[in-house]
Amino acid sequence: MRMIFVLARRDFMSRVKSGPYIITTLLGMLVFIGLSFAPLLLDYFASAFDEQPLDFIVVDYSGEFFPFLAEVVAENEPGGVIEEIQPGGESEAFQRVIDEGKLGLLLVDLPEIAFAALDGSNYVSISRVENIVNQSLTRLNAQKMGLSPAQLNALFARAELQVREIGSQDGADERDFTTGAVLAYFMIFMIYMALILYGNMVASGVAEEKSSRIMEVMIAKVKPMELMFGKILGVGALGLLQFSIWIATVLTVTVLRSAMGLGPAAGGLALLSGVPPSLLAWFVLFFILGFFFYASIFAAGGAVVSRVEDVNQISTLVMMLIMAGFFAAFVSFTNPNGQLAVITSLVPFTSPMVMFARLILADPPAVEIAASLVLLLAGVLGGAWFSGKIYRIGVLLYGKRPTVREIARYMRG
Amino acid sequence: MALVVQNVTKRFRDVTAVHELSFSVDRGAMLGFLGPNGAGKTTTMRVILGIITPDAGSVLWDGVPLTTYGPRLFGYLPEERGLYPKMRLDEHLVFLGRLNGLSEAEARVKADHWIERFQLGEYRKKRIEELSKGNQQKVQTIGTLLHEPELLILDEPFSGLDPVNSELLKNVLLELNQQGTTVILSSHRMDQVEELCEEIVLIHRGHLVLEGNLRDIKRSMGRSVLRIAVEGRRDFWQDIPGLTLLAERPDYLEFRLEPGLDPNQILAQAAGAGQVIRFELVEPSLHQIFVERVGVGA
Repeated sequence: MRMIFVLARRDFMSRVKSGPYIITTLLGMLVFIGLSFAPLLLDYFASAFDEQPLDFIVVDYSGEFFPFLAEVVAENEPGGVIEEIQPGGESEAFQRVIDEGKLGLLLVDLPEIAFAALDGSNYVSISRVENIVNQSLTRLNAQKMGLSPAQLNALFARAELQVREIGSQDGADERDFTTGAVLAYFMIFMIYMALILYGNMVASGVAEEKSSRIMEVMIAKVKPMELMFGKILGVGALGLLQFSIWIATVLTVTVLRSAMGLGPAAGGLALLSGVPPSLLAWFVLFFILGFFFYASIFAAGGAVVSRVEDVNQISTLVMMLIMAGFFAAFVSFTNPNGQLAVITSLVPFTSPMVMFARLILADPPAVEIAASLVLLLAGVLGGAWFSGKIYRIGVLLYGKRPTVREIARYMRG
Repeated sequence: MALVVQNVTKRFRDVTAVHELSFSVDRGAMLGFLGPNGAGKTTTMRVILGIITPDAGSVLWDGVPLTTYGPRLFGYLPEERGLYPKMRLDEHLVFLGRLNGLSEAEARVKADHWIERFQLGEYRKKRIEELSKGNQQKVQTIGTLLHEPELLILDEPFSGLDPVNSELLKNVLLELNQQGTTVILSSHRMDQVEELCEEIVLIHRGHLVLEGNLRDIKRSMGRSVLRIAVEGRRDFWQDIPGLTLLAERPDYLEFRLEPGLDPNQILAQAAGAGQVIRFELVEPSLHQIFVERVGVGA
């Protein structure tokens, strides 16, 4: 056991001071800081668009549309300027649109309506024009049908569906699906990223030790299992440190923002600072178990190749499994208690992400949570045992990559 | 007998690397472990240290399986050297010391001591990748012996070292050996083995060929090497049946003396060819024994 810590400490110390690690940590910090300010910038630009008043010219061939249009603009578009010209003046109108930088020219010849826009890519303004044109048309038609404004409102009345989960406490456990989904997505993405980032670090670390031949010195002194867990713990500690730094960055930025009076951060970041402790505990549990499970597979992969350049081929295979878990978790969002979600939340390859998603979005039965944990734990032990065997054979095997059949034969022998 | 290798057999796929190999080493001995390339030396050493498990046989230290001892018992320098290139020299040695079962404090003291002994003081804070190959080799050697183990197994410890550093290492090995360390040394440099080792084990194609005290082995072969220098005709020996030329040196000729040949008769023959200025009967060198036992047709 003592050797595991000697090995883990070496891995941790030698990497924590290395350039790539410091750079990824700093880049991550920048990304998180950027993310928490990005909504603010977007808001700023969006409001800049909104403040630009609508300004266009209308030619009403029907002779009955314009009053309705003027009414809707007056109600919904403060500062909006629409000007009606009589049919026949189109060419001067076009010239004025260009000269005065107006939005465009609206041609109404019911039932057809066309808009000649100065800038066809200005979707924001054009969709506003479309919106008021449609409203005007509705009012015009309502009047033709003899509907009163009250009848018109009744026709378009909408009911907001009020969702309450059966069995939930009165209001206390009310779920906001969107909030939950954003949070789940964010945290699952973190698990996904950690598995790939640090899993690859484990695999390439093992392959480096193999190709630099230091492995033979170590294997004479330390059991393969200890070597493997030393590597996993060392890299795991690096990951934990990096994630702690990133989360601390997010929290600091959130606190700073409210201190600066910029309001709470948007999206997943704000949610992260308000995660209930129980969820955080689940997150840490699945994060750690998932990492141990996949790291042991990555370690075995690193032990099978003899050159660092070959690691990618093996890593890609393992990463595909992780991606499968990620997508399964994503699909489970739409139906957290569906069959796919239930099955993938039990299989160790996918369960760290899927079961965690279900814990956020739905209340999975305790039996399923327990089964998922037991299976994952069994997977961790089984994976470690299996990888330990491969590790023992692989670390001294140089030359060509062994085939699956050769590995199977070595494991028996 | 401190180390006993008993009937060890190890197969890889369909190749038998080591075949029912048995030998033993006394405590405090310095053993030359010899064999041509591919003889199974590395496999044997790996089996001794428990890096690979043999298909049959066992390895005992003081009557107990060697694998039951902790890491402090032995030090192993594999033929393929390897260090972490990014680590600092002193950090690396402390790490290797800890792997060898020393505490952090002990490892620091020992590392300092051996850094000075191997004259690496000025490189103490340098990263391994910044060192020359010879110095890396010295670092690795220190990593093998800094915990002053009871058993040292060294695979080609002199390769890559200049004469000055070879001498340094030789002295360190002799010193440790005098303090009671059992040393197993594998080398292709027969002169160095002859200089250092009293005992040898020679294997070939996984089989034991020769085992024992080097002096006894030489003696048992008899004074079967004849060196003659004659001022005059150098081809006089071609008339003597049964005399095989081993080597033609600038200042003398070296022959194998087959049993039954009378040295005096050869001397007379040589005297007939000219002035004999050297005529001596010597024991074969380790090099000759090696070539004879595992050479072509062996």
